[in-house]
Order: sequence, then structure tokens, then C-alpha cells
Amino acid sequence: MKKEKKYWKSLEQLNGDPLVKKFTENEFLEEIPVDEFLSNKENLSNTKTNRRDFLKFLGFSTAAATLASCEAPIQKAIPYVVKPDEIVPGVANFYATTYFDGHDFASILVKTREGRPIKIEPNQSSVNARIQASVLSLYDSARLKSPIKQGNAVDWKIVDAEIISKLKAIKDKQGTIAILTPTIISPTTLQLIEEFSSEYGNVRHVMSDDISYHSMLEANKKCFNARYLPSYNFEKANVIVSFGADFLGNWLDEDYATQYISARNPKDGKMSKHYQLETNLSLTGSNADERIQIKPSDQAYLLSDLYQALLRNKSPEDGRIKKIASDLLKNKQKSLVISNSNNQDVQILVNAINKLLDNYENTLSIRRPSFLKKGNENSVSELIEDMNAKKIDALITYHVNPLYTSVKPKIFNSALKNVGLKVSISLYADETASKMDYLCPDNHNLESWGDANPRLGQYSLMQPTIAPLFNTRQFQESLMKWMDSPNNSDYYAYLKDFYSDVNWNKVLHDGYFEKRDLAVSVSDSDFNIPLFKQSNDNGIELELYEKISMGNGSQANNPWLQELPDPISRACWDNYLTISASTARELDLSNRNVSNGGLNGSVVDVIGEGVTLRNVPVMIQPGQAHGTIGLALGYGRTHAGKAGDNVGVNAYPLLKTSKVKLVKLDKEHEFAAIQLHHTMMGRDFVKETSLADYIKDPKSGNHRETFAYKNEQLTPDKLSLWKEHDHKTGHFWNLSIDLTKCIGCAACVISCHAENNVAVVGKEEMRKSRDMHWLRIDRYYSSEMTPEHAKKNKVSTIKMYKDMEEPSASPEVVFQPVMCQHCNHAPCETVCPVAATSHSAEGLNHMAYNRCVGTRYCANNCPYKVRRFNWFQYSENEKFDYHMNDDYGKMVLNPDVTVRSRGVMEKCSMCIQTIQQLKLQAKKEGRKIRDDEAKTACSSVCSTNAIEFGDANDKDSKVHSLKKDERAYYLLDHLNVAPSVFYQTKIRNKA
Amino acid sequence: MRYSNYFRGFKVIFTLAFFFFTCSSILVFSEDDSEIKIGEKIFQGNCTACHNLTGYTKLSGRSVGPDLSGVTDRREIDWLKKWIKNNKELRESGDKDAIEIFEQYNGSIMQAFDWLSDEEMNGLISFLANPPVNEALIAVADDVSVVQEDEGMSVSTQMMLIALALATLLYLLSSVKNSLKSSMGQETETISQTVSNQTKSFFAQNRNVIFIVVIALIFLAKIGYDALLDVGVTKGYQPEQPIAFSHKVHAGDNDIDCNYCHSSARHSMSAGIPSANVCMNCHANIVEGTVTGTTEIQKIYDAVGYDPETRTYKQNYTQKPIKWIRIHNLPDLAYFNHSQHVSVAGVDCETCHGPVDEMDILAQYADLTMDWCIECHRETDVKMKDNEYYASMHEKLKDSLGVESFTVDQIGGLECGKCHY
Repeated sequence: MKKEKKYWKSLEQLNGDPLVKKFTENEFLEEIPVDEFLSNKENLSNTKTNRRDFLKFLGFSTAAATLASCEAPIQKAIPYVVKPDEIVPGVANFYATTYFDGHDFASILVKTREGRPIKIEPNQSSVNARIQASVLSLYDSARLKSPIKQGNAVDWKIVDAEIISKLKAIKDKQGTIAILTPTIISPTTLQLIEEFSSEYGNVRHVMSDDISYHSMLEANKKCFNARYLPSYNFEKANVIVSFGADFLGNWLDEDYATQYISARNPKDGKMSKHYQLETNLSLTGSNADERIQIKPSDQAYLLSDLYQALLRNKSPEDGRIKKIASDLLKNKQKSLVISNSNNQDVQILVNAINKLLDNYENTLSIRRPSFLKKGNENSVSELIEDMNAKKIDALITYHVNPLYTSVKPKIFNSALKNVGLKVSISLYADETASKMDYLCPDNHNLESWGDANPRLGQYSLMQPTIAPLFNTRQFQESLMKWMDSPNNSDYYAYLKDFYSDVNWNKVLHDGYFEKRDLAVSVSDSDFNIPLFKQSNDNGIELELYEKISMGNGSQANNPWLQELPDPISRACWDNYLTISASTARELDLSNRNVSNGGLNGSVVDVIGEGVTLRNVPVMIQPGQAHGTIGLALGYGRTHAGKAGDNVGVNAYPLLKTSKVKLVKLDKEHEFAAIQLHHTMMGRDFVKETSLADYIKDPKSGNHRETFAYKNEQLTPDKLSLWKEHDHKTGHFWNLSIDLTKCIGCAACVISCHAENNVAVVGKEEMRKSRDMHWLRIDRYYSSEMTPEHAKKNKVSTIKMYKDMEEPSASPEVVFQPVMCQHCNHAPCETVCPVAATSHSAEGLNHMAYNRCVGTRYCANNCPYKVRRFNWFQYSENEKFDYHMNDDYGKMVLNPDVTVRSRGVMEKCSMCIQTIQQLKLQAKKEGRKIRDDEAKTACSSVCSTNAIEFGDANDKDSKVHSLKKDERAYYLLDHLNVAPSVFYQTKIRNKA
Repeated sequence: MRYSNYFRGFKVIFTLAFFFFTCSSILVFSEDDSEIKIGEKIFQGNCTACHNLTGYTKLSGRSVGPDLSGVTDRREIDWLKKWIKNNKELRESGDKDAIEIFEQYNGSIMQAFDWLSDEEMNGLISFLANPPVNEALIAVADDVSVVQEDEGMSVSTQMMLIALALATLLYLLSSVKNSLKSSMGQETETISQTVSNQTKSFFAQNRNVIFIVVIALIFLAKIGYDALLDVGVTKGYQPEQPIAFSHKVHAGDNDIDCNYCHSSARHSMSAGIPSANVCMNCHANIVEGTVTGTTEIQKIYDAVGYDPETRTYKQNYTQKPIKWIRIHNLPDLAYFNHSQHVSVAGVDCETCHGPVDEMDILAQYADLTMDWCIECHRETDVKMKDNEYYASMHEKLKDSLGVESFTVDQIGGLECGKCHY
């Protein structure tokens, strides 16, 4: 018997909902007014277009469109009228210059194409993600484009004339002029300010750092009579004890990571021992051999305890630091103790400990100090007081944004109203600048001349790499203009004259030079060693931190940085409270994954002393000390620009707050986090071992999986179904990633963006895991549950896997950069129906965008999930209003790399454009390729040399020997996909 | 009739007169013939860099110095000899004419030719008085080729249109037939029925015709396919440029090396269109062209702001870039590097750009399709000899393939990623 089956599309249809019935009957919900139009004779006769005309138009337009599509548009080629000698179209030029924005410093090499800077490479010093991304900030169309007087764009002449006359009036009445700047390390600028002072008499120069090192400077002044920061040498230290100082991330200097890693080479048979005692899980803490979670208030007490233990050569009272004390005592002169505290007494204690350990002038030097931070909080508050008291007649701000960065912006704002002449010199009409009378736009670093003296005896020169894009003028030139020598405003001549004792052309070419400056004279003064007791206060303690991406927030409008996932939390386009799982449970706060995979979190109000931050999302962070929360600075901008405005919350007002209360709100926040799993689930993507085991057996932790085959155990490569490519004849490009050296700083990610025109997709798309990053840095936490633990305690398999998902409350953290592994048995190649991805004889997996039809089979079949699909047109699309939709922003694009369009797959090409360039150069010069010139975007900026690139067929290359190293392994080796990328096991210095 | 006879009469007279004139001139100047030859040699070796001689040199008019045609009429022979021998001495002696002409030409210093023998000097003067006709120059002037543009519809397009018309006709006829049938009360057929009935009878009756039609259809399909392949191929593209620049004059007649103007071809991916200052290297002096006179060269001067009269650059002039029309357009997705082909492979420019030295108006010579690229990569041997870069690769390839030379595709020249990234 045949029974008619019926299927329902929905419950409503089954129930016979009238609305559904209506929908199914009518395809068009509203009547199309055909009858109305056709039945109305008058209407019909009145239209001038009759049916024949309509058909004519239709025919014509179809024919025209067809013809037009066959005709290529006329392209023009417009050469220079007079071509500059140094420019050859199509060939990149490199200029050595300097980056310093008051926060980050580096000697850099700038790659320019046809006069446009397109990439920043390291020159002597290492460059972090922010410095590399600054090349995009250069082309920020939110920058000030001309001088502004009370909201209206005006001419420089008008601004100059008015400012000069007002300054003169102030001089005549013997008023006070204040110049508020960040730390200035340019000797010529300091001299110019000096000259400006002598010109106008009563000039007060105040330096203010957004993230203050005031207490450290004051402590050194008290201890050594030298208000400087010491220079550190992490390479010489056998034992490093850091109390919260994120020296591999944002603390002080970019170069510490290089020093730190060079003392941690397992091949030497010894590595420095690194203890990190901290509240938030920082990049530095993630890399530490041993990490101890402490509350911020514990820091002073632990340091006192440590000091006394070292002084009396006894065991400290607190058990947590017993090992530290004994290790430090064994390594006098070869250890280093640092702290991030902004409490003068704590810093004095740190100085005392280093002194006790005889570390001064061994692992750190106050006689050869660093000048990178000079800010003085006392003079800033004095300035604000005087402004309030109407004692300041003119305020000139340069690259500072106190209305955003100060703890009490309202007080500064009211003080500002009492100043007669308010002049701002900045790149943007930011929170502060927009309140000033005159906005004098400054040149970007890459448009300016300048110099820097970051450390004693070290100098770095800044030269413009592009003519100013807008009607801007650099600060120094403005100062010269406003002095009584309007004709003498040539800062370049001034600078050159200042360095008349060095070979100008040579140092300008090199970018940096050293001088034998006299060491700073230091006098040991007697000071009391303050001692602290353990506080018994309960309550939630707050510690603010800087993100690798955002730093102090001055580059908030940089979409590359906004979209750079935090190395620890893997979230971007946000800041949030980091909180431990246990504290979150106590406060009934939670995180959950919603159906599209996105992460949602509770939202709270943070109430501090006199400050309340509203609507702060909460993210549960393994490794966060119990009873504490962390919050990143640099977010919550309101005058940054399209990309940076209203992203996250401004944490600066909480800078002086230590205890907070959290009030849970009845809403949820949507995060954009691109890694939602926290652990490796008992697998070994990152192979890890301890130094002791490594010394015993260099292959420890790196055992290959084998398969049983005909009574023997074979490694995957012995059981191959694949026909091998010939990789013996030409080059065989390989990439080695040393997980012991990788600190997860993400400089490589930004470098990859700049080199390969990687698109920015925005928060919504990031939340859907549609990031376009060719290179990601996976972060894994260790879990309490391991297969060994389960076996021992007879835990059921289901419970084991469930528990394995949970990261440990105090996890060990590993970072693993993953890009296309360029498999020589590539799973993607076999499934592409149009052969858009294919293999090269040089060991690369090619991707031909113009051939791709977007089936996404390859991404499905990729075991590493490194292929990225262009779900949308990301360039010239208003929906993705970032640099690729902006005439200025587009200038950063690398002309050697195609900008991909909608519907095609893309992925890491191992910078094939640089490989081709490299080969061509060698061919032209008729020589072999040198190993040191083979570089990808990621390897060239890696400050710890964790990423090494080269030709594995070249017997003298580094990659060749690294490939044979006992530590080398392939990711997902058991698949036998034979990648051209391989990793070196992670080694921690622990027992 | 009468008029034409008159004309014929005139023609004869003219021809005779011309013949007589030519002969007489030969008679009159034959004694100086060898002298003129000596003078011509001196002139060519020493004077052409700074002077034109209308009717003899390619260019005419003012150059660094004045045009020398008719100079023997303008100046006295003795004065001329003194000037040529040592013009500085003449000027210092206070000769008014000498100082005047010196100033007129912005103090451009002419070197002394005191080494000329009397014989040579006389020869030079006779040459200047009676310069022989430069036959090469006449040839050039006659050979201004006219470029024809093919405006007609191509054969394949016509064929396709005819086929389309026939199909429409078929459809119309069958509908007409149907409507006739229905009006006559006969049973109508659907189109498919008609087609199948008709086809059946047609197949039964016309086997030979069908065979021919099938052949024709295959032929048409091939033409259509070729036409589609040609979409976007701009071979022969010959746009009118903002300046009527002739490669024939520069690269052909004057034999200027391609690299002189397209200097970055050896160093860069882009061959580069010369900037106007490169043009000015020569055109600061060459103010008049053989084909277009001064009008086109003036456009360079307008771009850079140069005054050919005073031979100076204008101060505070807003330079106007020349907007050439790009002929060779590779799509953005294809990476091509000139220096790879020019410097490493040693490919001649003509291989891809054709006989540029014969083109007055430059046209695209090659297809610039991927097929065209690959064809060449399959056939061309890599220039491995004496290049250290290829040394070890060459050894290994010799072992594995057992031959001496290798084409580009044998070393990976056909891999996608070599050109598409």
C-alpha cells in the first residue's frame, strides 16, 4: 500500500499557521502593480517609451555592454618628468632611520618603493609589532592634514604669526610657558628646547611618560644620585627574577628578548634560569621556567623577605621563594632582580638586592644608563597645580595626550581652561589636541629628520623616507620658527651641524653610531632599606598591563594592531578584565561559546576609589592570580579615528587604583577570539622537554610516532604512498622554527601583514574565525589532566578528555607559530579541482589566485588549517573600511604581491616574491645565494632568531644543519605530509 | 585637348631644362669635386655635433651653433676662415661680427680648428658653399609610412552573424507554417514535432548535404573558439600617443640602444618609460625632428619647461608629466621581470617587442598571453654557462637528464608560483 508522505518545513506549517499559508501561496508578499499600470490607459499612453523603444533600448544596452566588455580600458604610463637618481621604478630602496614615539625605540631600516615606505625592518635593534605597524600609521587618513586654529584649517603663516605674537606678549609680562612632552631622547631637540627657554625666559619643560617609570628613576636618584634607568644585560645573567616586569613584552627596551634568548641556548648545555612572580599572565611569565602567581600587594613583602634572606644568608620565610633565594646566592654577579612596581620604596629594595648580589656593572649598569624613560610625575602634578592657579600662561603639548592618559582627566581639563595660549603639536586631533587653541600638526617619524640617544654612548639618526604627505611640520622646525630667528628654521642644517664631529654621510647611511660618552658619575648614598609586611587585606586587586599590540594606545587607529590577537588571550579588537577561573566562579562570572563558535563573556562595572569603569567585559584567564584582575591600557579612545574609536574601555583612570569592586551586569559581551581551545588534549603539537633531560638525551621529548608494518615498527615516511618530488637538484626552501627561542611576541605576524598585503577584516569577521592572517601563533596551556595522570588514578577515558579541555589554574604556556607548512605530500594539492594550488620543485606549495574558483576543498583538507578564504572583497569595499578602502592607506601595499579578491583562497607563500628577487639578484651577479640573505618576512624581524629560513640543499646553510638537529620535528608527523617547515622542541630550564 | 597638348609641351621643356641645369652644374663644379669631398669629411667629423646644414644634415635650424646653410653667402670667406681657425683670437681682436654672433649663441664656445691645412680649409668652405644632396635624407623623407587601421568586421564575426540569422529564420518559418496550418484547420505541430519530422525526412533525403553541413559546423565552431580565445588579447594595439614619438627614427635611423632610454630594463621588473629629462639629454640640442619638425619636440619642452630659443630651463615652471598610453599591459596577477629576461637570459628586446626600429607608431607585437609565455619557456634554453648560480644545478641536471642544455620549463619555469603571487 502506497502511503503519501508529507514533509513539513516547520512546525508552523504543520500547525497550519495562516501566515505560513499565505507565504507559500504567494511568492511575492506584496502585489506587483502590473494590472494597475497596464489597465490605466492614460498612464500607458503618457509614457514616452513604447514597447518598440523598450526593445530597442534593451537590444542596444546588451550589445553595448557586450562590446564594452571586450574592450580593455586605456591605461596610462606616466614617467617622472625628472627622475630622482636613486629611484629605479620597480626596485626597492632601503633607508636607515629611527623610530621613537616616546614609548618604543628602535633603529630601523625602511623599505621604500617608488618613494613610498612600505615596510620596516630591524637595523641593529629589534623591532616589535607596534613599530612595524607604524608604517601603516604614516598613511592614516585620520592624521591632521593642516594647521588648525579653533577648529578651522588655516595657513602656517597665520598660526606662526599669532603664536609668536602671543609668546612675545607672555615674555614681556614675564609669564610662564610650559612645554609638556613625553620622554625626549633627541639631543638636538633638548638643545632646541633649551634655546627656546633662553629666548622666552620663563620656560618649563615637563616630561611625562604614559606608563610611568617615575619611582624607578627616583629610587635610583636616591640610591645613586643618578636619576636614570639602568641598562640591563640579560645575556650575562644566570638567574633572572622578575617581579611582574614584562621585559620580553613591553617593559622598557625592545632588545631584552634578544639578550635573554642568547643566554638560553640548550646546545651550550646551560640556560639561564628565569623565575617570574606576577599577577597577570604576561608574555614574559609564559616563557618563564618557573612562574609564581602573586597578588600585586605581595610583591613588596616578598622582596623584603628575599632581601633579608639574602642579607642574612638564611632561608626566606615565604616558602614560594626559597629556591629563588638559594639560586640567587649561588649566582652573585650573575643574576638580575627586576620589578615593575611604580612604588619608590619597592624599587629601592630591588636596587638593594641587586647591590647585595653585586650585580651592578655586571648584569646591569647605572653608570652606563638608558635614557628611554625620563618622565617625572611630580613635575606633572606641579604643572597641573600651577595651571589651576593660573600661573601658566602658555602650554605647548608635544605628542602627549593627558586628557586620555591621565588618572584624573577632569582635573586636567579644568586646569587647561586656565591657560591663556594652548598649542598642541601632534599627529592627530586627539582627546587633548582637540581642546587646544592651535593645532600644529607634526610630521610622522618617517617624514622627519631627527636623532636619538637611547643609551649612553649610543646614537641613532632619523631621516625622512617620504616627503610629508600632508601640510605638516615637524616639532623642531616649529620651535625654531617660533624663536626670534624665523629665517633660521632649517632643522636639517641644525642637526647636521650638531653632529659635525662625525662622518655625516656614513652615519646617516648606517643609521646609528657610538660615541665614547663619559660614564655617568654615581655616588653611593646611604639610604634606609624599607621593609614590608604581608598585607592581609582581602578584596580584588587590580593590575593594569600593556598589550603587545596596543601599548600605550597612541596607535589605536592602526587596524593591523587592533586585529593582532593578543598572544595570551588570542582576542583582538578589545580589552577586558582577565580573571582566574576560581575568582570568576566566586563572583558568578562566566565565559561561554555560542553556536557560531564565538566567545561571550559576562560584563561588569569596575568600581575603584573615586573611579568607575562601566561595561567592562570579563575574560577567564588561566594563570591569573586568584583574587586579582588585569586590564589592558591603550583602549577606549574617543578621538583616535575610525578604527580606534570606542574599542574597549580606557583603563588609565585606574592607574593609581589597587583595590576594586566588581558589579555584575545583566548582559554579555561578544569577544573576537581566534583560538577557543586552550590545551593540546594530550597530543604533542609542541614537543617539550627539560634542560636536564635534553643534556642526557638530545632527542628527549622528540620521539617519532611509528606504525606497525610486517612485524616491524616504521616511521611514517617509510610507509609513503606518495611519489616523491625531486628536491635534490635546485633549491629546497625550508623554514625552521625553534620553540625554545620563540617568545610569542607576534612581530612576525605584523611583518607578514605588511609584506603580503594581508587584509583586515574587522571584529565581526574575526569573531567568526574568518581572520586572514597567514601566520598565527597558537598558544597552548598545560592541563592538570594528562594521559599518564588518568592511567595512574584510573580516570575514565571520557572524564579524562573532558578534564583535558580545562587548562590548569597555573599553566605552563607554549607558543607555536603556524603558517602554511608547504607539505611535499600536500593534501590540499590533491583535492583542488582546478589545480590552482600546486607544488614547486623548490619545496613550496604554490597558490595561483587567478586560477582559484573558491571550492574551499583545500582548506578542508589542510591538516594545519592555515588556508584563508576571501569571504568578501576586502579591498575597496565600504563594508571593510580599513586601509585598503582608503587612498592613503593603499599606499602601504606591497606592489610585488597581488591584492586578492573575493572568492579565492590564500595562504603563506613563504614570501615567494622575496625568494624570486633573491634568486634573480644572484643570477644577475652570477653567484650562489648566500645563506644570510635568504629571509622571509617573519624570519627577518624575529629578534630571537627563532625563525630561520634558507636552502636546505645548501650544505653550509643554517637550515641544513637545523634540519638534522635532534630537536627537529614535523608538526603532525604521523600524517606523513612531509612539510618544508619544521620545529625544534621547546626546552625549559626546570628540573 | 589643346590644353593637354600645351601641358605636354611644357613638360618636355621642363625636363630638358632640368637636364641641362643638372649637367651644367656638374660641369661648373666638377673641378672642385675632390675638394668638396675633403670638406665633407671634415664637416662630418668635426662640425655636425653643434651645427646643422639644411638639406644635408637630418636636422635643420639652430642647434648649439647656427645652421651653416648659406653661411658662405652671409659671411666673407676670409672672415669665415679666420673664425674657423681660431674664433677666440678673432673675438679678442675686437671683431664686431665675431663678438655679436658669440653673444647671440649665449657664449657657447667653439673650439679652435687651427690644425686645418689650407687645403682642408678650402675644401670645407667649398663644401659649405655647395653641399651635395644627401640621398639618405631624401629616402627618409619619402618613407613616412602611413599606418592603416583595420576597421572592418572580422570574417569570423560575420559568419557567426549569418548563422544566427539563419537560426532565427528557421524558427520564424516554422511558426508561420503552424499558424497557416491552424488557420486552415489542420492539426498544428509543436516546434519539436516539426523539427523531428522535418529532420527525419531531411536526413533520409539529403545525406550528402548533411555531411557537408557537419563539416561546415565544425569549421564554424573552430572559428568561434578562436574568436573567444582572442578576447582580451590586444596584439597589434597601436594607440595614438600624446607625443608622436617614432621608435623608427630613434632606434632605427639613429640606432640608439634600447637601454639608453629604457635603462631600468636591465635592473628592474619594469623596463621603464624614460623620464623627460632623459629625452632632454639629446633634445636640449635637437630642436627639430625629421618627421614632425618642432611641434612634437616642443611637447617635451612643455613638460620640462625648456625654452629652445634661449636654451635655458624656465624658472619656477610647473612641470607637466607626459601621459603616455601604456601598450603592453600584463594583468596584475602576472608578475613579469624585465631584468630576468634581459640581464640574465640575454633575450633580445625584439623577441617580444618585434621590429620596434621599424615602427613609427609603436604597436604590441606579441600576444602577451600565458600560452605565449609558456611556449617560449618550453623552447628556450637557460643560459647556464659561466653563471656560478646555475653551476651545481647544471651538474645535477646533466646527471639526471643526460643532456647538456635545459629549457626553462625543465628547471621549474612553468610552475604557477613563479609568475603568480
